[in-house]
Amino acid sequence: MEHLRPSVMVGICYRDPRAALAWLEAAFGFETCLVIEGPDGGIAHSEMKVGDGLIMVGHEWDEHHRSPAALGGVNTQSAHVNLDEDIDAHFARARAAGAKIFREPEDQFYGERLYGAYDLEGHQWTFSRLIKALSLEEMSAAGGVLARDHL
Amino acid sequence: MSDTDSQTLTPALIYRDPKAAMAFLERAFGFETVMVIEDPDGGPSFHGEMRLGGSSLRIGAEWSAGHASPLSLNGKNTQTLAIQVETDVDAHCAQARAAGADVFAEPETQFYGDRTYRCRDPEGHIWVVAQTVEVVTREQAEAASGLMITGWS
Repeated sequence: MEHLRPSVMVGICYRDPRAALAWLEAAFGFETCLVIEGPDGGIAHSEMKVGDGLIMVGHEWDEHHRSPAALGGVNTQSAHVNLDEDIDAHFARARAAGAKIFREPEDQFYGERLYGAYDLEGHQWTFSRLIKALSLEEMSAAGGVLARDHL
Repeated sequence: MSDTDSQTLTPALIYRDPKAAMAFLERAFGFETVMVIEDPDGGPSFHGEMRLGGSSLRIGAEWSAGHASPLSLNGKNTQTLAIQVETDVDAHCAQARAAGADVFAEPETQFYGDRTYRCRDPEGHIWVVAQTVEVVTREQAEAASGLMITGWS
């Protein structure tokens, strides 16, 4: 395979990956770019493009891989998507497709407009657009936090 | 937010001890810390950002009931990480192991042309690290695996 792959990608566990592919496309605008199916017709592996990022939509293929739907909605990892498009329009589309919103679109102190939504199986997603690039000093002052560039 | 957010997709990982996790990710995988935001009053909120190549990673604490480290869930992961390296995945594996990663699948060349290993970090997040070592066509991959592939390019 000669996919140009980003250096970091995400694998996401779903009970029903086929339903997830369709839902993520309709709600969030992701694009299916690879589907690998077993002899039984089940999805062995699939991938979607998210801008210049790549997600692997997988299933609960061993005891360590679980959908939030199997864990009472708990997430061990979530995904943040940085968009260069109208965040409010993206939000409206996601909500219309059935996304459960946990944060309405709002400007953040760190210079982004952001909303948050759960997908069909309870994975947590945040979508934002950069409004104003801030230095760490400006961010600290605006948010009442300590921002620095090292541990 | 400078160029750390130039990439569309940023995974955010939950840890009980996010600072220790960031130190591990620097040693094991070569991530670079680019931002740490802490509550000045010593509160539980924490936001870390790290970078590898052109990709970013966010590190957070167990700040709500909906956010848990695999350590709090008997090792279960709702999402996992995949790293693509350009050179010597075997040396990458040795470095990760020396830093304390639990390597549960040793480096092995897969039917799709990538050489991969799998490991758990100290809190149980699962990482797969891959290096493309051979260009495989869709027909070759289908013949080797018995799977049906759509979208191979």
